[in-house]
Amino acid sequence: MTSGSLKRMIREELSRRSLPKGGITDLPGQEFRTDATAWGILAFGAAGEDSENLERHRGRLVQEQDKAGRLCIDQQHPDSYWPTALAILAWQSSASSHEAQNRAIRFLIDTTGLHRPRQWFDAAGHDPLLKGWPWIDGTHSWIEPTALNVLSLKATGHAQHERVLEAIRMILDRQLPHGGWNYGSTYVFGKEHLPMPESTGAALAGLAGMVGQEKVARSLAYLQGETDRLRTPISLGWTLLGLAAWELWPSNGLALVERCLANQSRYGMYDTSALCLLLLGALAGEKSNNVDLLTNSGGRPPALGIS
Amino acid sequence: MQWSVTRRDVLLAAAAGLVIGSGLLLVPKRYFRTPQQAQSFIGSVADYQQDIAGVISRGIDALGILPAELKGKRVLLKPNLVETALGAPHINTHPLVLRGAIEAFLRLGAASVMVAEGPGHRRDTLAVYEESGLAAVLTEDRIPFHDLNYISGYDLPNAGRQSSMRTLTFPALFKEVDWIVSVAKMKTHHWAGATLSMKNLFGVMPGIYYGWPKNVLHAAGIQNSILDINATLKPHFAIVDGIVGMEGDGPIMGDPKRVGVLVMGRNLPAVDATCCRIMGIDPYKVSYLERADNWLGPVSEAAIEQRGESIPSVRTNFNLIETIPAHKGLRLA
Repeated sequence: MTSGSLKRMIREELSRRSLPKGGITDLPGQEFRTDATAWGILAFGAAGEDSENLERHRGRLVQEQDKAGRLCIDQQHPDSYWPTALAILAWQSSASSHEAQNRAIRFLIDTTGLHRPRQWFDAAGHDPLLKGWPWIDGTHSWIEPTALNVLSLKATGHAQHERVLEAIRMILDRQLPHGGWNYGSTYVFGKEHLPMPESTGAALAGLAGMVGQEKVARSLAYLQGETDRLRTPISLGWTLLGLAAWELWPSNGLALVERCLANQSRYGMYDTSALCLLLLGALAGEKSNNVDLLTNSGGRPPALGIS
Repeated sequence: MQWSVTRRDVLLAAAAGLVIGSGLLLVPKRYFRTPQQAQSFIGSVADYQQDIAGVISRGIDALGILPAELKGKRVLLKPNLVETALGAPHINTHPLVLRGAIEAFLRLGAASVMVAEGPGHRRDTLAVYEESGLAAVLTEDRIPFHDLNYISGYDLPNAGRQSSMRTLTFPALFKEVDWIVSVAKMKTHHWAGATLSMKNLFGVMPGIYYGWPKNVLHAAGIQNSILDINATLKPHFAIVDGIVGMEGDGPIMGDPKRVGVLVMGRNLPAVDATCCRIMGIDPYKVSYLERADNWLGPVSEAAIEQRGESIPSVRTNFNLIETIPAHKGLRLA
C-alpha cells in the first residue's frame, strides 16, 4: 500500500457513500449523517478531492447547522452536539463556510459540560471543576470531545484562548499516573483505571504543541507499546494521529492500516467515521498529505471577529 | 349513652389522620401494588467447557417457554462487554455463554440470532469485541455482531417516568428484532450495588446520543435510568453468566468469583433478585430492585418460583467493600 493508492481508495469509497445533493452517509445506501460527512470531508480533502465536490458536502453541513451554531448528530437530538468540532475542521479554508464556522466557534467557546468543585466524598480521582467539553449537553466533560474541540479551536487560531488553555489543563488532569488516558476517569475508589489507545491518541493530538513532551512521556510510551497489536479502526486511527502529532508516527504504519482494512472481512464494513479516522491516521505519516488539522501543533492567527 | 363530638375531638382526629397519612407516604410504593409472580431458573454449570447450550435449553423448557413461541423469531442477544484487560476475562459475559445461547435459540426454531452491544467506556466497540474473544466465536459460528453505539436511533416515550428523560432513544436495529435477551454478567457494582440483567441494558443506548460513558443516564440518575430503560424497552428474556462472576470493586476492577451457575427467566427483576440472593445480597437493599418490585416484576422470594437448583445450594457471598457507599447494608442475612 502506498500513499497514492490510499488516496485513490479514499476517493472511491467516499464517492460510493456520497449523496447527489451533498452529504455523506454512514454506510453505502444509508442516510445522511453529520459526523460521517465531516470526517468524510477531512479524508476527501487529504486525498486531494476536487474543491467543487468538497464545497457541496460543506454546504450540506451548513444547512444542518442550527441557530445556536451547533451541528448535532441529527436535528431531532439537539443535545448531541459533539459533531460541531468536526464541522469546524471540515469547514476550514472554505470561504463559503466561513460564517457558519464562526458561529460554531462562538457556540463552542460559550459552551461547556457540567462542572462543580471537588467534594470530600468524591470517589473519582480527577478534578471535576476543570472545564472541557462534553459529548452531550448537560453532562460532564470527557477526553475525546474535549480533544476534538481543542483541535478545532487550535486549527482556527484560538490556541491561546482561555477555554483552550483550561481544556489543556483538564486533559492533563485526567492523564493516568502510569500513562495514557481512557474516556476521562483516573481513580475511582482508590483504584487506577486502565488506559485506552483511542482516548490516548485523541488526547495526545489535542495536547501537541501545547505542552512539553516530558509531560506526556509515559503516555507516548504506552501508545507506542500498544500500536503493533491494534487491529480495529478507531483505536488504530487515533493512535496514528496522536503519534504523528508528536512526530512519532510508526514506520510500519501503512502495514498496520492495511491489516486493519483487511479485517473488514471479519468485522463487516467499517462505518464512514471509523474508516476516515483510520485513513487519516494512515496519511498522517507524511506531512505533505495535508492532515495537519488533526496533527498540527497549532498557532494559526485568530479567525476574524472572534476574541 | 349519648356521645357528643367536640371541636377538640375533631381537631385530634384530623391530626391523627395527618400523622397516619404522612406515615403512609413513607411506606414503599410496592406495598400498595398488586403482587406479581414470576419464575426463575438456576442451572448448574461447573465451567465454560460444559454443555452450556444444553443448560440454557433445559432452562427455557423448565420456564415453560414452548418452541412454538420462539419459532420464526429474530432474536437479539445483548452481552455485557465493558473493557478488556489481560487476566480479567471476568469483566465480560463469556463468549461461550453467547455461543450456548445462540445454539439454544436456533435449536428452538428462532429464524435468526444476532449479537449486539454498545459499550459505555470504550469508543472502539470492535476492539472490545475482538479482545474479549467474542469475535473469534461469532466469526466461527457465522453470527452477525452489531455495534449499537453508532446506529441512528428512534425515540419512544419514557414509560418508566422515574427520571426527567421524556423520551428514550433506542437503536433502529431494534425495530427488526422480535426478542431482546439481556445476557449479563453476575457482578457487584460500585455505583449501583449490583449489575445484572437490568443494568446490562445501559449498553443498548447508543453512545452518539448518550455519550461515553453514558453520562446522560448518570445525570438522570443511575437507578432511575435502569428502571426507565427496562419499563420502556420491555426485554423478553434474561440469562446471567454466573459461572465466574465478579466480586469486590465491580464492574471492572473486582476479583473473579466462581459460582458455577447460569440464571435465567422472562422477568428481569425476578432474575436479578434471584442473582442477588445467590450473591448474598439483599435485593430489597438494591434501590432499582426495591423500586421495581410488583411494578416491573416480583422481587420477593416467595413470589418467584424457583426452578432448577435452589438458591441455598448455590449461594456464595460476594465480597462487598465497606468504603463503597453503594455496598453498605447490602448483605443478605
